[in-house]
Amino acid sequence: MIRISASHWRLLAALAWLAVLAVAGWIASERLQVSGDLRKFMPDARTPAQRLLMDELGEGPGSRLLMIALSGAAPDELARQSRELRARLGERSDLALVANGEQAGLEAIPERLRPYRYLLGNVDPQAFAAPALREALQARVQDLGSPAGALIEPLLPSDPTLQTLQVAQALQPARAPQRIDDVWFDRSGRQALLLVQTRAAGFDPTGQATALAAIEQAFAAVSAGSGSRMEISGPGAFSVKIGARTSREAGTIGTIDTVGMVILLLLAYRSWRAPILGFLPLATAGMAGLLAVVALFDGVHGITLAFGFTLIGVVQDYPIHFLSHQRPGVSAWRNVRALWPTLGTGVASTCIAYLTFLFSGVEGLKQLSVFTIAALATAALATRYVLPALVEPAIRDFADSRALDRLWRGIERLPRPRLSLLVLAVLCVLAIWRAPGAFWQNDLSRLTPVDPADLLRDAQLRSELGAPDVRYVLTVRGRDAEQVLRRTETLRGWLDAEVAAGALQDYDFAARYLPSMALQRQRQALLPAPEPLRGALQEALVDSPFRADAFAPFLADMEAARRAPPLRPQDLAGSPLATAVDGLLLRSDDHATALVSLSGLRDPAAFAAASQARGAALLDLKQASESLVAAYRLRLLVALAVAALLLVATVGLALRSRRRMLRVLLPMLLTTLLVLAALRLAGIELNLFHLIGLILSAGLGLDYGLFFEHAGDGREDQLRTLHGLIVCSLMTVLVFALLALSSIPVLRAIGSTVALGVVCNFVLALLVSRHHSGGRHAWA
Amino acid sequence: MPCAAAAEVPDPAVLLRALARPAPSATEFVEIRGSALLKQPLRISGQYRRPDRDTLVREVRAPYRETTTLAGGQAVIAREGKPEQRYSLERVPELAGIQSSFGALLDGDAQALQRQYEVSAQGTPRHWQLSLQPREPALRKRVLAVNLYGDDGELRCIATQPARGDIQRTVLGAAVRAVEAGATPESLCELRAGP
Repeated sequence: MIRISASHWRLLAALAWLAVLAVAGWIASERLQVSGDLRKFMPDARTPAQRLLMDELGEGPGSRLLMIALSGAAPDELARQSRELRARLGERSDLALVANGEQAGLEAIPERLRPYRYLLGNVDPQAFAAPALREALQARVQDLGSPAGALIEPLLPSDPTLQTLQVAQALQPARAPQRIDDVWFDRSGRQALLLVQTRAAGFDPTGQATALAAIEQAFAAVSAGSGSRMEISGPGAFSVKIGARTSREAGTIGTIDTVGMVILLLLAYRSWRAPILGFLPLATAGMAGLLAVVALFDGVHGITLAFGFTLIGVVQDYPIHFLSHQRPGVSAWRNVRALWPTLGTGVASTCIAYLTFLFSGVEGLKQLSVFTIAALATAALATRYVLPALVEPAIRDFADSRALDRLWRGIERLPRPRLSLLVLAVLCVLAIWRAPGAFWQNDLSRLTPVDPADLLRDAQLRSELGAPDVRYVLTVRGRDAEQVLRRTETLRGWLDAEVAAGALQDYDFAARYLPSMALQRQRQALLPAPEPLRGALQEALVDSPFRADAFAPFLADMEAARRAPPLRPQDLAGSPLATAVDGLLLRSDDHATALVSLSGLRDPAAFAAASQARGAALLDLKQASESLVAAYRLRLLVALAVAALLLVATVGLALRSRRRMLRVLLPMLLTTLLVLAALRLAGIELNLFHLIGLILSAGLGLDYGLFFEHAGDGREDQLRTLHGLIVCSLMTVLVFALLALSSIPVLRAIGSTVALGVVCNFVLALLVSRHHSGGRHAWA
Repeated sequence: MPCAAAAEVPDPAVLLRALARPAPSATEFVEIRGSALLKQPLRISGQYRRPDRDTLVREVRAPYRETTTLAGGQAVIAREGKPEQRYSLERVPELAGIQSSFGALLDGDAQALQRQYEVSAQGTPRHWQLSLQPREPALRKRVLAVNLYGDDGELRCIATQPARGDIQRTVLGAAVRAVEAGATPESLCELRAGP
């Protein structure tokens, strides 16, 4: 039997802990619902635009559109692929609409609704008088004699005026792309075009990724061996692409960071166990935070998670302080007890500060609060109560290091700046205040920039397909569907004039597919009664090549149309018309909103004014989402202000001396000013991620200040503290400096802020907070 | 003398070579279109033109004026005072049949024709019939056969037999004058007896 030494037991225990974490991580990832839903992240909507954005739209009809271009094969092959792609995708329930131009024909109006063609489309009452009918019949003769005669012939008995085709044509976008082999092609005729509308919102990365994967899969099956290519463009495609790029880059940086951290810990502690022990509290913290959020909330917002994992970076320092203070002759438990007051003060005050987020009224911030508090507390407790059981007895005391000793002596000779810090602070405030450029960056999309080439391609496809604008949408609100349909109908003349004047490229609204009941009744009233119609038809048929009884079904259809109850939105269910109407007509119990999608809007301001005068409202969805970001930030800032006060109070209470409190807090405050000034002077507009970076750097600064201030009475203790703080700051700088080099603005914002903050915090804590050689301390 | 007649059955390849009229070329036509909706079949006359290899123009001059251009898989129909209409040839296989058989015929491209149709010949080199049966299932569903009738190196009639409905006959070239003189298209669109 193998005898297992105490050392092995400790290692096994550490590995078992890791295994438990891995299992917990797996469970959490199974249960975790990461959502991209902005509603989880943003404060409650206040303005009508915000409400529409949040409650009803997601992000406007344009943002749920994906534009697809097939190229790289002969047009007939591309057309075949386009048709098959539509057939395959059309069956999916997560896609609201798959269009490629095919359904342009009669399929748009199902058989049971055919007689309604006289109510859905404009009808000239003169069209059914004898002279007009005669002219129509002459044209039908030509149709029959034309090569397309076979196509038209079945339609003629019931529809000699071809009203069906007129209605079907009117349902087509005004600027539909050209059709080759029945499907849409671009102007050059080399790319087949399709339009897909997802049910998932544009900002829902999971929903969009699922839709994209389905499209890719269908295309792979349809295109096998033909050498054709597919491009997908649109907000959803971009967000998925950028999401993948971000996680790829974060993954690479994470790997390099991990290797760097392992090497750093190996070098610092000359023990291969150090990386494992150093990693455990952080991993435990992350897991505890996740579990707490999963237990208390329905779904976690992706951005909240990103913020949360950034903020708990501070716990990486806890085991390092502990390891740096390990020394022969002192048990790990005694060591950790000595460190606990300092460590505990930092953790407790940070946790209390984060509590304020709980009362911010923003779901995302509440989650962030729960996540960080659970994580920080767990990491501190793990360091205090578990780590000592796992660590090997120390064989080395870092206080014995000659190099550290020399360094510390050098540091002790440094002056303690007073007035110069005040000057620095004033300069920073001036820079923050006076630097040119906008202070805040509200545009969330700027954080995840789209490749300019992709944007250009998107604009091309959007113009080829006449796809609606993502940013602007006109809304008409009212009591019910009928009322808003009627109101949008009154806008038609003005909108047509705008299009004619070039102020607008095209527009679309539900009333184009489903006229209001009032308009349908109006049209019904104009339809001829059976007898007059029969008379007119008989007159028109005199001397006509058509047989006298050829158009009996026409008379029947007309009478059906005259007597039918007007169509309501719910009557369209299951027809292609329903998709078009549902996307543009939002109904709820007590009100309805009609959307007018716009493309190629020239002058939004003028258009907004003109639409207001007509009882419609032009919504700028970008502005609405930006105002929500601003509202979020305001809540965050208010919470932060309260948090700062709480932090000062807690630290003051723990240190029980104003001088000491000032020495601990000054570096952190100054660093915040310095980093802000540096960012402003560099012309960087601040976003939420900079703010999160600043919060993390302040948390680190607090710990540095506490540890430097309370470095222990003896010189050895001071050296050990110095060792710990050097390892901590090197590690943090390593991690965040790499992030600062990233090509993704989100990662760059966090990376640059924290890396700069750590350096400033370390230097300032060294200058300001470092232990007074002769000072006395309340605790030790 | 059945034996002599059998020996004289023309070779489709030879016939096609004789029929070749490289673009640009033009020929008069008369078409008869029957429909259950009509009292009597419609008689349309005009000109078929091939300005280049890939384009076939059908210009109707009577009883009304209309120009149909078949090119690039599309039919573009222009009428006086009306906007152009476009149709995919795929949706009108009858027309696609005319275009492909007519095109290959005028090019003398027996191979192209045989790729799309099973080609067989009947009659004699003097009075012949070429039968084209579509190979492609999609076309076969709509068009049972395209029969070409002619005399020597002259195409007289293209008769398209749709899967449903009446035969659509297009009388071409010199035979158009026979129709104008009172001959029925049916009589021009059948295999003539005699040597």
